[in-house]
Amino acid sequence: MAFIKKSPEPRNLADDERTGSRDFEGLICKLDDPDSGVRRWAARDLAVHPGASAALLGRLERENEVSVREVILTALVRIADLVAVAGFVSCLRSEDANLRNEAIEAMKSLPVEVAPIMRGLLVDQDADVRIFAINILESLRHPDVEAWLLEVIERDPMVNVCGTAVDLLSEVGSSASHDALERLKARFAAEPYIQFAADLALQRIAPASDGQK
Amino acid sequence: MTAATISQDDFLKFQEYFYRKTGIRFEDSKRYFVDKRLLERIGHTESANFREYFARLRFEAGGSELQALVNLMTVNETYFFREEYQFDCLVNSILPDIVARKRDKSPIRIWVLPSSSGEEAYTIAMCLIERWPGITDHDVEIISSDIDTKILAQAKAGLYSARSTMHVPEAYLRKYFTKTAGGFQIDDALRSAVDFTRVNLQDPSDVRPYRNFDIIFCRNLLIYFDDVSRKQAAETFYDALQPGGYILLGHSESMSRISSLFQIRKFADAIVYQRPGVGK
Repeated sequence: MAFIKKSPEPRNLADDERTGSRDFEGLICKLDDPDSGVRRWAARDLAVHPGASAALLGRLERENEVSVREVILTALVRIADLVAVAGFVSCLRSEDANLRNEAIEAMKSLPVEVAPIMRGLLVDQDADVRIFAINILESLRHPDVEAWLLEVIERDPMVNVCGTAVDLLSEVGSSASHDALERLKARFAAEPYIQFAADLALQRIAPASDGQK
Repeated sequence: MTAATISQDDFLKFQEYFYRKTGIRFEDSKRYFVDKRLLERIGHTESANFREYFARLRFEAGGSELQALVNLMTVNETYFFREEYQFDCLVNSILPDIVARKRDKSPIRIWVLPSSSGEEAYTIAMCLIERWPGITDHDVEIISSDIDTKILAQAKAGLYSARSTMHVPEAYLRKYFTKTAGGFQIDDALRSAVDFTRVNLQDPSDVRPYRNFDIIFCRNLLIYFDDVSRKQAAETFYDALQPGGYILLGHSESMSRISSLFQIRKFADAIVYQRPGVGK
């Protein structure tokens, strides 16, 4: 026995499961194929088709195979059109915790697309959705993150929502957060966690580490 | 304006953030290393202080500053027998497991990427010959891929500096290398054991033919990708591997932070990742 060489060649594709129609309609059909490998490849190839979001979201709702779900989510993030983003927002309201977490992770990757709807999510009637929106902000690369968090701690009536926002502010807050944090402490004077978290945030944004100019 | 400095709170903020984004945690003992590089980027971006720089790092939509910092914080150097414990794991645990599940005489297929100048692929070939008795009973195919055709040409030529070969055991150096004016050249037999190919991991049409691998070595590459590209790469590896196949990442990389597609396997020598499913 020995080392052998047999470089992959495109012709090897002829006998694998990626045969058949690779056009848009063909790929949409393959999303419902009984073979998870075929569904996975179809979802991957649909990432370059802007009109595929609705079909991918539909499949995501009923797909049980984790490897296919992951590829569908990546494809939707790649497409990132209004349909895909609206679909992720719907997932935030799902009873399925996995689906919610997947949507949060996906939305973290889409700062440009998520920014226009963020204020709406942060005042959603459902407090859980507001908390999920703050979870998205945790890794969202957008210059308004601190401003959005300040709006939350200034007006949200729910201690859990404000607590989540303050936790994040302790990492991303600047001196611009100082007064809002003091007002939050006054507003929730009887809530030990808010006192603790706000004090921690205030300590972290203290001018000491800012004064190197 | 005086020079910027990094306070302990600044360091903690950065430490938490960088760990979350990359999986790399810098302990206090690395303060000098981290501070030096942060200050370099603060200066380069003309930020007034750490806070201004950190805001840029976190919120810049394109993520280019985070990438620049990752490049600076990680050591991009390859050499023979780098992270040798993974090659021990290969011969002591992974290959025996694959062989035990094999039901036919098809070759064991190993994909190495990025190939860079070939040190990793040649190290695998040497380890298989010297440390794995199974090489007498099984064919092995080693494919080493890179996006850079110049580096692939260099890999095929097999010419290395003394620095690159400094961890090669003396006996291997005598057996598999010949001394040249500038360093060492790997011998023809070993050079013919590895197939070098050009591939762009981010291009689906490039990676489609790469299938049915038993083992993938992808060390210290994904750290340079953005989050979505990293997930896409993990999905590519999933389809490139046989069910039950293994993937080995660099010591500072964690598949669990990228994707839930793979299972963690803890072997005596290393932690690796495995595509779920039955063997062939």
